[in-house]
Amino acid sequence: MKQVLYIEMDNCIGCRSCLAACTQCGGHEQRNRNYVLDVNPLVNRQTIPLMCFHCVNPACARSCPAQAIQIHESGAVLSALVEKCIGCQNCTIACPYGIPKFDEEQNLMYKCDLCIDRTKDGIPPMCASVCPTNTLQWITEEELSRKKEQHQLDNGKWMASMPFMEGETNVKMNLPGILQGKVKLF
Amino acid sequence: MQRDKFFKVIENVRHPNEKLIKTHCSYCGMQCGMNLRVDTKTNKIIGVEPRYEWPVTVGKMCPKGVTAYQQTNHKDRLLRPLIREDTSLKGTKEGFREASWDEAYDLIARKFKALQAEFGKDSLSVFSGVSMTNEKCYLTGKFARVAMQTRYIDYNGRFCMSSAAGGFLRSFGVDRGSTLPWTDLHETDCLFIAGSNTAECHPTSMFRVWAVQERGGYLIVADPRETPIARRADIHLDLRPGTDLALANGILHLLIENGYTDPEFIEQHTNGFEETKELVKEFTPEKTSEITGVSPDKIIRAAEIYGKAPNAVVMFARGIEQQVKGVDNVSAYTNLALVTGKIGRPKCGVATFTGQGNGQGGREHGQKSDLLPGYRKLTNPKHVEEVCQVWGITPEEMPKPGVSAYEMIELMMNKTIKGLYLLCSNPAVSAPNQNFVRAAFKNLDFMVCADFYLSESAEYADVVLPAVTWSEDEGTVTNLEGRIIKINKAQEPLGESKPDWQIQVELAERLGRGQYFRHLKTARDVADEFRLASKGGYADYYGATWDKIEKQDGVFWPCKDEKDPGTPHMFLDKKFYHPDGKAKICALPYRPPAEEPCEQYPLRLTTGRVVYHYLSGNQTRRIPFLRDMCPEPYVEVHPETAKRYGIEHEEVVRLYTRRGESFYKVKITEAIRKDTVFVPYHFGHEKSINLLTNAALDPISRMPEFKACAAEIERIAVREVR
Repeated sequence: MKQVLYIEMDNCIGCRSCLAACTQCGGHEQRNRNYVLDVNPLVNRQTIPLMCFHCVNPACARSCPAQAIQIHESGAVLSALVEKCIGCQNCTIACPYGIPKFDEEQNLMYKCDLCIDRTKDGIPPMCASVCPTNTLQWITEEELSRKKEQHQLDNGKWMASMPFMEGETNVKMNLPGILQGKVKLF
Repeated sequence: MQRDKFFKVIENVRHPNEKLIKTHCSYCGMQCGMNLRVDTKTNKIIGVEPRYEWPVTVGKMCPKGVTAYQQTNHKDRLLRPLIREDTSLKGTKEGFREASWDEAYDLIARKFKALQAEFGKDSLSVFSGVSMTNEKCYLTGKFARVAMQTRYIDYNGRFCMSSAAGGFLRSFGVDRGSTLPWTDLHETDCLFIAGSNTAECHPTSMFRVWAVQERGGYLIVADPRETPIARRADIHLDLRPGTDLALANGILHLLIENGYTDPEFIEQHTNGFEETKELVKEFTPEKTSEITGVSPDKIIRAAEIYGKAPNAVVMFARGIEQQVKGVDNVSAYTNLALVTGKIGRPKCGVATFTGQGNGQGGREHGQKSDLLPGYRKLTNPKHVEEVCQVWGITPEEMPKPGVSAYEMIELMMNKTIKGLYLLCSNPAVSAPNQNFVRAAFKNLDFMVCADFYLSESAEYADVVLPAVTWSEDEGTVTNLEGRIIKINKAQEPLGESKPDWQIQVELAERLGRGQYFRHLKTARDVADEFRLASKGGYADYYGATWDKIEKQDGVFWPCKDEKDPGTPHMFLDKKFYHPDGKAKICALPYRPPAEEPCEQYPLRLTTGRVVYHYLSGNQTRRIPFLRDMCPEPYVEVHPETAKRYGIEHEEVVRLYTRRGESFYKVKITEAIRKDTVFVPYHFGHEKSINLLTNAALDPISRMPEFKACAAEIERIAVREVR
């Protein structure tokens, strides 16, 4: 049963548990690979996670002169291969979301690999496992299609991926505002 | 047991040469399930793995929980006892030398005996905490009364849960923090949450909170700040700190006036409705608005939503409880559920967000100045008799009730109390009016502190005993639902550290009271005695055996015998715990905070938590990830207020009250009232906001008013000339 990472940005409370948990994935060498942003810190407490969206046609991998960025059969865009990465940082510049991080000492790019050691066996990635608010969810495609029906946003369009992203992504997301047009119980 | 819509069957990842130990987090009352990863070669804890099968939190953890494991093998752990050589350095980390346990015990026994010989048994005191197992909490009460033979024992729940306890006892006749299991919350139709920054203080409740709104239900939040939960509330009642009682009375008035009451429920199951109805009549939306600063239309709409909701839960936390009228606030919000009959059935009820891991269990079993195990009362001769039988002492030997936590500190100042045994608490950060508290600790003749790090309070001690972290011992904890759960041991104690129960058993021997303690050789021995001691009390744990806890995913008290599965929902039979079986609707006249703003101190100061830290920060400030995310306190100021003072974002200002001052970086945010400033309380020494807070106490719970006092900002920076 194929499962996907789904991001419900409106739910985010900015606890950064996803970042703390990222270091706990066995393959991540205790380094976190994602971001949580304060949207407008002087005004309110809105925050949003910024994770790798695992593009279907990833700019990072396309821009890599050394083929260091492999794409797993599940669609996960993996972290740079240690033996191939030349530390040019093309990937960080090419990524429309600035996701790949860089280790100066090791001269090595590292990024979210969707906890491939977990997700290849259907186990949720660490970030989605711990997320206290269900901002990050690991859901089946069936659950995903239910969400599409559920969220009737003001423009009537499903917010995930297109047209708000640069291209089709494996990770799906909803921008803040999911409660707009919500039919109340009473 | 409960398998709700969030539950999924997920296998854990198992790395080679590792085992997983099922347990719960060390921090707040959520007690999130977690697996500790243990290296099978070194037998040391090396990480964390979610515990997907735990029904309350289904694998979820906040950043404190994810990094909690880093406490155990931390470089700051105390590995051997410390003895203070230089008393002139009290209040600092300096002046200690390492010692053996024998030497430390001998010194403590000699000093304690000498003080008691000269000044009487009650010259000693015990100050405890509830971030530890029921077994330890139980034994600490026995240790104080049987081994140290003093009346003076109290605990840090006085800074945390005592107002909720007092309010529930008055309204229901029983104090179980939640009348319903957390697994009901997402199915209710309206959550009315007052004085709780849930998103930061109990983050793993949030997926259930958001799910209410996703179903089309309502979220009402009362808070002076637009916290991350208030941000998405349907109604945010942005009240002035310390005016909750007026708001609750105002809502109650509208519920009654607009016919949202349940007359049959009121008639059959409650007392006090008519006089309360009379009293709240004056709290019209206009008057309530005048006191609270919340606009009348929001008050009217909030009452309408709560009134119309088929099912609703009223929830609250320290925001309403840490006030001089904290107990009244709790009863006033509980009134909302009682007049509408939204209690005693699934998906309805009242709950407090318990602050400390074992805030519930720790207050039930005899660490409070007037209580004995099973929520028995020291003033009730029958209760005393029952506990004496378990302890093997005579009722004449049982010390009389003592005084509350802050009042004990006052007795240290006036030399009534000369010796202190402090454990599981850090009052040199967490108590109000710190200048006074720190002077009182310096004034002690002899102080012992048991902790696993050298806390700010340990800096005042003459002897520091190395205790263990939660992961190096086993026992039970009662979470915020009232569910008794099991903490499991993942690693042997680091260095020479020992669990608190073992320290107390060994110290009792040195104090000549070994015969009452020496049969307790394991945590399980303590558990068995504790279950027996609670038997027949209304917080009855007798049937909550460790086996049953494991089998059932926890046991809700009361649980009277082996066959009793426990009580997830309270009052399903509509029987409350007052002698006539009825709940009390309380008529509560409004009173303002002990200190109102004035010309000299025009701002309202309120304090609270951030998501990255826990209580006094003694644990979380040492964890790199958490420290990096929030390394120091700050003062939140509304931009218009900042403009009035001519201060800018990140500028350091002097914040002061009648009691003290400190210097903080300004954090400008529109998410706070213009008349209010906020500072997080997790920081020690000169950065502690409790240098400024007010020690005015609630008359019933003896809870200090941390949440509201009068303050002023002074600009100190000289603007750089460009």
